[in-house]
Amino acid sequence: MSRGRGFSIKILDKSDDSISILFKNIPVEIINSIRRISMSEVPTLAIDKVFIFRNDSVLNDQMLAHRLGLIPLKTPVDKYKYGDEEGKPEYVSLSLTIEAKNDFRTVYAKDIKSNDKEVYPLYEDIEIVRLAPGEGLDIEMWAIMGTGREHAKWSPVTVCVVRGVPVIKILKECDSNCKKCVEACPKNILKINNGKLTVTNLYLCTGCKLCEVECPDYIKVDIDEKSSLFMMEIVGQLTIKTILTKSFDILISKIDDFLTKFNEVEIYEDAIPK
Amino acid sequence: MITPVRCFTCGSVIGDKYEKFIKLVEEGMDPKEALDKLGVKRYCCRRMLLTHVEIIDEFLIYRGLKYGKD
Repeated sequence: MSRGRGFSIKILDKSDDSISILFKNIPVEIINSIRRISMSEVPTLAIDKVFIFRNDSVLNDQMLAHRLGLIPLKTPVDKYKYGDEEGKPEYVSLSLTIEAKNDFRTVYAKDIKSNDKEVYPLYEDIEIVRLAPGEGLDIEMWAIMGTGREHAKWSPVTVCVVRGVPVIKILKECDSNCKKCVEACPKNILKINNGKLTVTNLYLCTGCKLCEVECPDYIKVDIDEKSSLFMMEIVGQLTIKTILTKSFDILISKIDDFLTKFNEVEIYEDAIPK
Repeated sequence: MITPVRCFTCGSVIGDKYEKFIKLVEEGMDPKEALDKLGVKRYCCRRMLLTHVEIIDEFLIYRGLKYGKD
C-alpha cells in the first residue's frame, strides 16, 4: 500500500453551507476520523445556562430554555476557551427582554441582545415563542463553548458523510434499443448517446447495482476502496475551512497524546506471556 | 405547539422557514415547489414543515382574555 504517495484532493462541489470533496489514495480511516471529529469534537458556542425572571408565555420554562439552546450562534475563532480548567467557564452573556403591549407578538431570534458584537444569532427569523397582549419575557442567558459529543446543539455540522467512490465498467457494447439498465437506475445517471451507453455523473451513483442485475454481462459496478467521497453540510457557527482545519488539529493532538502516554509505559520483553 | 427550531433527524435549522413556507403555500404555490425554493433538500427536514400543526395561536386567544385586553 502506498503511504501518502500519489494522493490528491479535489473539490467537486462547494456552496456557502456545504462542500463535497474527493480524496484519492488516502486511507478511508483518516477521512472517517475527520468526519467523526468534525461532528462531535469541534467546540462552538451555544446557550447553555438560562435564568428566567419572567415568563408569561404559553411555553413552560424548560421548553423555552431548550428552544433557546438550539439557536445557532456565530462563534469567533479562538476567542473563547473550551473547558473550565480554572473552575469557572468563560461565557458570553445574552439577554431577551420583551413585552407584547397591545397586540399579539412573535418573539424572533433577532430580539436576543448580546454583550459581544461577534456573537449573534445566525438565523434572525427563528420563531422562539408567540406572546398574547400583556405577556412578557425577561431572560438572561449564558452561552458557553461545548462539543457535539455532549449535546447536538454544539455540533457545527448537520450532515457529514464518507463513502467509497463508485466505479462503473461497461464491459462490452450492447444493443442500444434495450435500455433496461437506463430505466433501472434510480439516479438516472446512465444515458445512451449515439447508440453508446455512457455514464453522465459518476459521483451520484450509490452503488446499488440495479443496472448490473438487469444486464450482468454488460455492466459491472464496484466501489473503489482507496478513494473516498466526503460530503459535509454546516450549520454556520464556524466556516467550512475552520471546521476542517480544527478537526485535523484535534486529530493530530489526540495522536500526540497517545504517543506521549505510550512512551511513559515501560515495556519489558519478558513480561509478554508466551 | 410552535415550529421546532431544528430538524429532529439531521439537526439543520428549520425554525425560520415555517412562516415563509405557509406564506408561499397560501399564495397558491405547490408545497413541493415551496420547499425547493426554501432550500429544504432532505425528506427529514421536508416532513418537519409539511406535517407541522401550529396550535399556539389557539392557546393565545384565551391568554389574551386572561391579561385583560379585549
